[in-house]
Amino acid sequence: MIKIENLSFSYHHRKLLFDRLNLVLPPGNIYGLLGRNGAGKTTLLKIIAGLLFPKTGRIDVMGFYPKDRHPQFLSEIFLIAEEFNLPSMKMEHFVHLYSPFYPRFNHNLFKEYSEELKLPEEEKLSVMSYGQKKNFLLSFGLATDSRLLILDEPTNGLDIPSKSRFRKIVANAIHDERSFIISTHQVRDMENLIDPIIILDEGKIIFSQDCERISGRLAFTKQAEIADRKGLVYYESVLGGYAVVKENTEHDETRMNLELLFNAVISNKEEINAIFNS
Amino acid sequence: MNLTCYFSLSRFLQLLKLEWSRSRKGILITFLITFGLLFTVFILESVFSYSKICNSHPSAYAFALLTAGFILSSLAFNDLGHSLRRHNYLMLPASTFEKFFSMWLLTCAGWIIAFTLVYILYSAGANALGHLFFSDRTYIAFSPVARIPVNAICYYLAIQGVFLVGAVHFRGFVFPKTILALLIFGMVCGIIFYFTMSDLFQTNPEFINEYSVLKNNALYKVWMMVRWMFRWLLAPLCWVITCLGLKEQEV
Repeated sequence: MIKIENLSFSYHHRKLLFDRLNLVLPPGNIYGLLGRNGAGKTTLLKIIAGLLFPKTGRIDVMGFYPKDRHPQFLSEIFLIAEEFNLPSMKMEHFVHLYSPFYPRFNHNLFKEYSEELKLPEEEKLSVMSYGQKKNFLLSFGLATDSRLLILDEPTNGLDIPSKSRFRKIVANAIHDERSFIISTHQVRDMENLIDPIIILDEGKIIFSQDCERISGRLAFTKQAEIADRKGLVYYESVLGGYAVVKENTEHDETRMNLELLFNAVISNKEEINAIFNS
Repeated sequence: MNLTCYFSLSRFLQLLKLEWSRSRKGILITFLITFGLLFTVFILESVFSYSKICNSHPSAYAFALLTAGFILSSLAFNDLGHSLRRHNYLMLPASTFEKFFSMWLLTCAGWIIAFTLVYILYSAGANALGHLFFSDRTYIAFSPVARIPVNAICYYLAIQGVFLVGAVHFRGFVFPKTILALLIFGMVCGIIFYFTMSDLFQTNPEFINEYSVLKNNALYKVWMMVRWMFRWLLAPLCWVITCLGLKEQEV
């Protein structure tokens, strides 16, 4: 679905943000793109969407070169940005005007999502709360049945029930021909939803693994104290002891902790890579 | 080559509907302001003019068509000037040509037709009111096919593209920035013209008054070429630059 080869990118007169970046994303998955602030997550998503142009390298998204902004490409991709602007019109009017641009737009599905997310039909989009606007865009984006849905920090501004509903709706909307890329630094919100996990740091993909492989290679445990640091990839103090990431040599079945994994990869990427490459 | 990459009638009509829906308020306000001002000037002319014959419609039409049309054209790609609205616009599943053409239709052909029709109605109404309240005056009916309106339409068709170029390339204050750019360009052309022609002016004092002297000069051909380029090349060139500018937009 997405193939990026030797991609380089920099903003005007600044140093390269991506230098020969490579990434292959097959269809049918909900990719979690994680990274610190300024790691380049949003920039990468914008390049995939054709909103920013790479300096060098090749990028193929569903057989299209995003820079061309081919109408068929644009109808197969839907981006929900972290910050957005919605026109001053009612939901129904927006759907009436914009849905014809998406050939497989499903009105019943949109109605279903908007009811589930409790969107106020009579209010204008511009006066809705930030969370409601985001839920509206999510409902619309999912109803387009576009093959690639890009969500940049989708849970920012959502209340707790909305976050649960978001996870449920997104998990049910995926199919073999479709991919979602969810960029976030709120990793707790995305647990049990995103798979594979891609971690971007300083313009490089430093980690890209599916959850099954992660669970097979790493064990996430809690220890009362750290007696011997040998074999530990990462640990941090938590209430009543230490949360630990270590190589899963015993083939234990532990529950993956996304936040711990992220911190482990960021702070000890060489060792993590060594474990996954062994 | 799949031509639907560039143009699909159903998609284009949908885009036109969308653009019309989004910009109709702006167009309506432009009409209200323009015709409000025109009517004010019409009343003032009726009150203060020394002449008993009022024939200001052709020039008022020309001035309003050009000024309001250029302002409207400057607002054509307004979304590109707002960071949040910009990526909505760029991600809209329509081709660059369709996006350009829909705006061209609204701000050029659509504007000329709509403005002319409304002006015909307005002038008829204004003249009737004039006759009613200022019975000592004679009001000449407005004809859109008279020399001044036709010339104004031709000039609008030739120059309007410049404002579309400005709308794509400038961020905010598009109209004054485009006017400034045109002034600078005009000044540069004027200076070049002056230095090119200064010898001729000084050696042939009758040059300014005698058209035949000018016509026999080699530079006259250059001038004719410039005029031809202005009439026939400026607009298409601006349309191409606008299209390319739209295609190269990033967020």
